Amino acid sequence: MARLNLRGVKKRFKSTEVLHGIDLDIGDREFVVFVGPSGCGKSTLLRLIAGLDPISEGEFMLNGRRMNEVHPSQRGIAMVFQSYALYPHMDVYENMAFGARLMGLSKTEVEARIAQTARMLQLEPLLKRRPRELSGGQRQRVAIGRALVRKPEVFLLDEPLSNLDAALRSEVRLEIARLHREIGGTMIYVTHDQVEAMTLADRIVVMNAGRIEQVGSPRELYETPANLFVATFIGSPKMAVISAERTGNALAVAGATVPLARLPAGDGSLRIGIRPDAIRLQRTPTEGSIPATVVYTEYLGENAFVYARLVDGTLVGIRTTPNDLYEPDASVGLLLDNDAIHFFSAQDGRRLPA
Amino acid sequence: MPQLRLTGRGLWITALIVPPLAFVALFVVYPIISAFAYAFFDWNGLLRGEFVGLDNFHTVLFVEPYASWTRNAFSHNIIVFFALMVLQNGLGFFLAYALWRELPGARFHRIAVFLPVVLSTIIVGYLFKLFLHPLFGVVNISLRGMGLGELAQPWLGQSSTALWALIAANAWHMVGFPTLVFLAGMQRIPTEMLDAVRMETRSEWVKITKIVWPLVAPSATVVFVLLFVGAFNWFELPYVMAGLDGSPFGSTDVLGLYFYRTAFGNVSSGQQDFGLGSALAVLIFLFIAVIAGLITVRLRAREIQL
Repeated sequence: MARLNLRGVKKRFKSTEVLHGIDLDIGDREFVVFVGPSGCGKSTLLRLIAGLDPISEGEFMLNGRRMNEVHPSQRGIAMVFQSYALYPHMDVYENMAFGARLMGLSKTEVEARIAQTARMLQLEPLLKRRPRELSGGQRQRVAIGRALVRKPEVFLLDEPLSNLDAALRSEVRLEIARLHREIGGTMIYVTHDQVEAMTLADRIVVMNAGRIEQVGSPRELYETPANLFVATFIGSPKMAVISAERTGNALAVAGATVPLARLPAGDGSLRIGIRPDAIRLQRTPTEGSIPATVVYTEYLGENAFVYARLVDGTLVGIRTTPNDLYEPDASVGLLLDNDAIHFFSAQDGRRLPA
Repeated sequence: MPQLRLTGRGLWITALIVPPLAFVALFVVYPIISAFAYAFFDWNGLLRGEFVGLDNFHTVLFVEPYASWTRNAFSHNIIVFFALMVLQNGLGFFLAYALWRELPGARFHRIAVFLPVVLSTIIVGYLFKLFLHPLFGVVNISLRGMGLGELAQPWLGQSSTALWALIAANAWHMVGFPTLVFLAGMQRIPTEMLDAVRMETRSEWVKITKIVWPLVAPSATVVFVLLFVGAFNWFELPYVMAGLDGSPFGSTDVLGLYFYRTAFGNVSSGQQDFGLGSALAVLIFLFIAVIAGLITVRLRAREIQL
């Protein structure tokens, strides 16, 4: 059992506040991913949960118990570091045994746990090796093993895949997902990679500039982003955001008037967001389509993306098929899928219900 | 086959390397070799006598009074080595740890600890002689001032404390060097590794002994070797503070002083023997070279790639 509750958690370094009051509840056995751009505070938040940095204000509870003053080693939390942070002077076995022995476990218990962990992570042939004799992926598994051996209630993983090459990354990603299913602990995972976030998470916490922008399942974040930040952060290529003006049952968008059945209440300016797969391209613009000029085309094999510039200068990505390619500077029309348009306030970027 | 041509670059390199090489050969290599040679001859003042084989070595090692002088000086060097190992290197390690933890005032102390190292040994020796003066020295005055007058000693004037006074002076003088080396070693430890330790234990002691020390140990190799060489070549400080005789009563005599006295003579003894002195020098050199080599090889094996 591990429930985490963060209440108004703030972090200041000297006079600079980097986390401005984080409220978050994480349930037992949940896989939560903190995602956001560099410097958004996601790693800082993880370090506060670990206890590596003190919480400046607010409260962190683990299973109802206040943790602010509890030493990192006493919290029942284990962490996997970005650089793996294996002890270079110990072999794999010793790396895993170090923390377990310090917990006061008996020799046989330590041995049993390491044997079990080594089997689960296929580390058995490596137990006598030093970290420098291991590949990146193997080191990563040892770092995870070291955390597992302590049988913590909460696992923290700080960008664990960022030092691996692309091929290995997806492999270890699957491995981590499998581990979470098998051991069933609560996992908190920090990444700036939205693919990792989308594939691994039960819930994603999107952070920006020291604040939580939205918490939700991958699907919720993709389908109903709470604001423009989340809308443009999740999804690749990015959702295009276009300024629009509502007049009656139509939108004035970049020199075109688009009649729409579904619109948010009220008149005036708003911003609309369209994902690449919610736009159809026309070779000759028709009534109700938005005129644009093709800038370039990305061919990706199974599909292709066309990037086109609207008359107001906005760059829009559109997914097409590999057989439907466009020359640069071609004039096209963009037909928007009404049901897939996201509406946001022009003032504060919040999502507007339609 | 590559030809050796004196191109412009080669000429430059040659011109820059040959003078210092010649200098080293003349003033370092030649004296060492000649000392080896001198050790096998009988000497009458500066006049070389006949070849005597290993007689000089035999005399300094086994013939009285030389044998007991040698043993006495050598035993003091050993005491100095181990005492400095604990005081200088041990203290250096903990000073480095304190500086590394960025305790308040770390910047000031980092400089303060290293500053004495750049002082000349002659100055340090002279200063400590003043500090330890039985009547006017700051040490005894402070002790009396604190009401601990019975602890005041003629530190340099009695056999029981003289050597330790010199050791303390040396430790004060040189502690900044191991501190600096250890500090550099500690600063190489990645912060994430220290975070990882903190996730596993709250014990500072475990952290120091199980993680920090093993990771810093490679930098200790050079500190150990230099301390060993320094301890067995110890000369300036005892010379300045205790004189050539290692007073009082030879209680601060070390191999360096003893060799110098034997080879070049002394105001008080007047006797001088180049052959015996050279034999001593050769023995000291061989001892240091062999042991320092062993320490280096032994400790190198433990070095860890971070």
